[in-house]
Amino acid sequence: MKQKENAGGPSFWMSFRRVFVFFFFLGRRTGRSRVFFLLGLIPVAIAVMFRIVLAGRTGDLVAVFNDILIVFFVTFDIVILSLFYGTSIVAEETEGRTLPYLITRPLSKPAIFLGKYAAYVTLMFIMVSTSLSLSFFIMNGHRLRDPAIYLTFMKYEGSLGLGILAYTAFFAFLGTFLKRAILVGLLFGFGWENVIQYFPGSTQKFSLVHYMKSLMPRRPSGGPLSILLFRLEPTEPVVAVITLVVIAAAFLALACWLFRAKEYLFEE
Amino acid sequence: MTAVIQTKNLSKWYGNVLGLSDVSLEIDKGITGLLGPNGAGKSTFMKLVTGQLRPNIGRVLIGGRDVWNNFHLFRGIGFCPEQDAFYEDVTGWEFLTGLLRLYGFPAKEVTERAVRALDIVELSKDKDRKVRSYSRGMRQRVKFAQAVAHDPEIIILDEPLSGLDPLGKRRLIRLIKDFQSAGKTIIVSSHVLPEIEAMTSRVIMIHQGKILAQGDIHSIRDLIETYPHMISIRCSDARALAARFVPDKSILKMSFGPEGRSLVVETHQRDAFFSRLQTAVVEGGIEVEEISSPDDNLQAVFDYLVVK
Repeated sequence: MKQKENAGGPSFWMSFRRVFVFFFFLGRRTGRSRVFFLLGLIPVAIAVMFRIVLAGRTGDLVAVFNDILIVFFVTFDIVILSLFYGTSIVAEETEGRTLPYLITRPLSKPAIFLGKYAAYVTLMFIMVSTSLSLSFFIMNGHRLRDPAIYLTFMKYEGSLGLGILAYTAFFAFLGTFLKRAILVGLLFGFGWENVIQYFPGSTQKFSLVHYMKSLMPRRPSGGPLSILLFRLEPTEPVVAVITLVVIAAAFLALACWLFRAKEYLFEE
Repeated sequence: MTAVIQTKNLSKWYGNVLGLSDVSLEIDKGITGLLGPNGAGKSTFMKLVTGQLRPNIGRVLIGGRDVWNNFHLFRGIGFCPEQDAFYEDVTGWEFLTGLLRLYGFPAKEVTERAVRALDIVELSKDKDRKVRSYSRGMRQRVKFAQAVAHDPEIIILDEPLSGLDPLGKRRLIRLIKDFQSAGKTIIVSSHVLPEIEAMTSRVIMIHQGKILAQGDIHSIRDLIETYPHMISIRCSDARALAARFVPDKSILKMSFGPEGRSLVVETHQRDAFFSRLQTAVVEGGIEVEEISSPDDNLQAVFDYLVVK
C-alpha cells in the first residue's frame, strides 16, 4: 500500500525511517562493518581461552577477567566503533562525494542525519551486544542457572548502549563541521577520556566514560589490578542515565542544526 | 507564463574566489545546454539550482519557490552529479532501489521503476554486479538512471556524457531527447560544444562565473565563423596539398606540422575550405590519414568573446 504523505511531502518520521532502512542496509555491506565485527570477536576468543585455562575455577580470577573484558568494551570497543561510525555520518558522504544523492531527495536534512545516526547506532549495538553476550556467557558459563547474572548482563548492555548513543552523538557532531574529525575524536576518545577518568574528585565527571562506569552493575574494589581498570567515584545511576541521554540529545540537536545550515564542498 | 526555473541576480563566492556572478535566467521546458570550460561555474550553477549550495546573493526559484532547504521540491527533480561517486559496496540494483525507497514508493513500485530505469540505460543484465566493478560508462549510466527513475519533471545533468564512449554518448543523447519529448525540463552541462549541439539548440554559455551568451546555438556558431578555424590535415604529401591551396583566398595562413607530414590551415570559411579540400585530395591523388581541428573547442570561442 502506498504510504500516506501530506501535500507538503513526507513527514519527518517517514523520512527518518526511510533513511534508517537505507543506511542500515548499506552499513551492513561495508568492509568496515566486517572488520569491526571481527574486532568484536577478540573478547570472545579471549573468553574461550580463559575458560579453557581456568577450567573448573570460579573465584576472583574469573571475576578479574570479567572486568578486563568489560574494560575492553567500555574504554576501547565502543569508543572506536562510535568514533568511526559517528564521524562518518557526514564525513563519508563528503569524502566519498555521495552527499548529493541524499540531499537532492525529498528528505529533510535532520531526517537524513538522524536516520543515518540511528542506523549506525543500531548496527554498533548489534555488534557490541553479540560480542558482549558471547564473551559474558562463556566467562560465566558455570553460573547460567543463577538468575542474577542475567540482570547483570542487562545492566552491562544498557550501560554500553547508552555509551554508544552518547559517544556517537558527540563524534557525529564533530564530523559535521571538522574536516579531520577522526583525529580530534581519537584525541578525545583515547586521550581525554582515558586520562580524566583516573583523576580523583569531580574532574572525572567531565568524561563520558565516568557515567557509563557509574551504571556498571559490578565494580572491582581492591586488588592489584583494580586501580588500573577502574577508578571511580560514581554518580547516581539515575543521574548518569539522564546525563548520557542529555549529552546525546544536545550534540544531536547541534549536529542537525549545523548539517542543515552548512554547505558541503567537495575537494577536487 | 512563469518559467520552470528562475534565477535572480544569483551570485556565489567560495571565500575570495568567485563561483558565479549576478546570473539572472529563466529556463523553460525542453533541453537547455550549459556550456563552458572547466571551472567556468557550471557545477556551481547546478549545485545552486539543486539546493546543494546557498546563494550569497540572489535567489533560485523552482515553480516560484526558493530551493535552498526546501526538500519538498525534490520529488520533482532528478539530479545526476558530475563526480564519479557511488556507494561502492552495493550492486547496481541495490543502489537504484535503495535511492528509490527514499522517495517512499511502495516495494512493488520501487521494483517496477528500477526495472524500467535499468532497462532504459541498458544495464539490466549487469544489475547484480557490484557498482565498484562497473566500467566508467556503466557508472555514468547507473548515475543517469537514479536521476530519472522517479520520473521527475526537472532533470539536471552535470557533465553526463563525460567518460562515455562514442556509442554510449549517442545512446544517452537519444535518451535525453526522449525525455525532452515527454515534456520534461532538462539542463545539461558540458564543456564540449558538439555534445551540447547534438542535444539542443538552446544554450547558455558561461565563463568565469558570468553568462557570456545565451540563446540559439547557431547564433553562437556564427561567432566561431568570425574567428579563424585551425585545421590540421595529416596526409601522404603535405607540400603537394599546400600547393593546391596557394591561390585560395579563403585561407589566411598555412604552415607545416612536425616532420612536414601535416598541413595546418587557418581559415574563416571552414565549410568552403572542406569543400575545396575534397576536390584537392581527389584531383591530387593525396592520401589523407587524419583531419583534426586543434582549436575547434569552446575555449577558443570563449577567448574570442572575452577579448572582444
